[in-house]
Amino acid sequence: MFLERRSIKQLKKELASSPMDTLLTIVIISLFTWVVSKSIHWILFVADWEVITHNIPLYLFGSYPKEQLWRPLSWITILSALTIVTLIGGKKIARKKFLPLIWLSMIPIGIVFIAGGLGIYPVPSRYWGGITLTLLLTIFSAVLSLPIGIILAFGRRSELKFLRFISKTYIDVIRAMPLIAVLFFGQLLIPLFLPVGLEINRVLRAVFAFAIFTGAYVAEDIRGGLQAIPPTQQEAALALGLSSRQTLQIIILPQALMTALPALTNQAIGLLQNTSLMAILGLVELLGISRSLLANPSFIGKYLEVYSWLAIVYWIICTCMALLSRQIEQSLSTSSINNI
Amino acid sequence: MEIAIKAKDIVKSYDKANLALDNVSLNVFTGEVLVIMGPSGSGKSTLIRTFNGLESIDRGRLEILGLHLDENQDEKQIRKIRRRVGMVFQQFNLFPHLTILENITIAPIKVQKRSSIESEITAKELLKQMGIYEQINKYPNQLSGGQQQRVAIARALALKPEIMLFDEPTSALDPERVKEVLDAIRNLANKGMTMVVVTHEIDFAKEVADRVVFMDEGKIVETSSPQNFFSNATEERSRRFLNQMM
Repeated sequence: MFLERRSIKQLKKELASSPMDTLLTIVIISLFTWVVSKSIHWILFVADWEVITHNIPLYLFGSYPKEQLWRPLSWITILSALTIVTLIGGKKIARKKFLPLIWLSMIPIGIVFIAGGLGIYPVPSRYWGGITLTLLLTIFSAVLSLPIGIILAFGRRSELKFLRFISKTYIDVIRAMPLIAVLFFGQLLIPLFLPVGLEINRVLRAVFAFAIFTGAYVAEDIRGGLQAIPPTQQEAALALGLSSRQTLQIIILPQALMTALPALTNQAIGLLQNTSLMAILGLVELLGISRSLLANPSFIGKYLEVYSWLAIVYWIICTCMALLSRQIEQSLSTSSINNI
Repeated sequence: MEIAIKAKDIVKSYDKANLALDNVSLNVFTGEVLVIMGPSGSGKSTLIRTFNGLESIDRGRLEILGLHLDENQDEKQIRKIRRRVGMVFQQFNLFPHLTILENITIAPIKVQKRSSIESEITAKELLKQMGIYEQINKYPNQLSGGQQQRVAIARALALKPEIMLFDEPTSALDPERVKEVLDAIRNLANKGMTMVVVTHEIDFAKEVADRVVFMDEGKIVETSSPQNFFSNATEERSRRFLNQMM
């Protein structure tokens, strides 16, 4: 009873402490109610969700051959299952040493399942699409940009002037370039330079372009992580007789990555959203497939439906990524250097 | 007596105006506990850090366990020395991302290429000696300062060093934690370990040291037995320092 009265008092104080406050509260609440009720009304009665429900396979896999659909389907299913297990399993599961290995194994499994090879019927990249392609682009670019970033970050701190110069120039040049320019370069110009007959897969070119671009940003995040490590850590490692390489590998890099983890998650989420730029360059990932559906005469004008749906899909994937990263952070938190 | 560390006319400067080490010559005998004292900035930390190559020298010669070092930093030679010389720092410098056990076994496994089973047995034994066996699977930041410093000692001992260097091992500890660390060092001394200890703990020096070296402004001012040094130091500078300390 007491609590209730107190919280009512608190509410009154927060929402209506003066006539102006009261007025603002009423205006905002009515606006909010109006927007929400309109949206719900639209979602339930006005919107025509056929454009989504009819094309779920397209959204998931693009125009992947029907008889081979089990391949991307199982990859995405394993990925989702792994995400759920990691998120729900809590600290106990997250601490297990095999979990990162399973996560890493999703990369070769993804390549083999989607592209074919190793005795599995090959499917050319022009048939890849939808969420599968979006995830493929994101994961591969992210995994590739990490070593690029690490090398550049160490290059920038190197004792060799030349290495320092190269790394710094690379980072500065790439950061001064808009992503779309790098992507255009990857898609349109690289084929011109290559000899006739030699062709690099379009998706692969996109992955390279993303990795080259993101690598520069990752390098700066990791450099931040490196700067957070006191030089005494290196001294202690050297004093134990570890070589400079071992010191970097076992002592410095793991700590730098841990510190940089929140920033790296940011990069990964940004990367996921940036993959939508490939729609302009003709890849039918999530946004690309949506655009081609909107061009279909039977779904013309369904912009709101398609883009709301897209927003929700991107939101779900981004949220999963953010939660996964928080999980990693928490499982490492006992040893976190931030806790000292 | 056998000589473990032989320093001859070492010179070291960080900037042109001041010499951090000004023609320092010093012998440390095998099995001896040598305590280095002096005001801050006197070069005592710099000196001890030259003994395992953490600090390079500008001139002079060093001979550590028969291995020579001079102004040309020979990386291989330095690593050979570091494998046989353990060091404990003021700020513990444990690796925060590794468990206590991993902190101790990492060097034996990676440097001496010993098996992980063998290294773990050694580590557990050392942790028992240090009285912190229960902490074996924790991370450094879950331990008190005194416990962390004892882990750092165990980590250095895991390589079975022939010389131990202590650089102000108790200066970063709460007063009530100093004793447990000094006890651990005293135990080592009683086992005949060759040790060089930079410290401000006068009682500890009186009790454990075989010789006391007093440094000031990069020079060795006085070397004498603890009895002599603490009751009637020869040099005026040493007496002033001791008056401030006591």
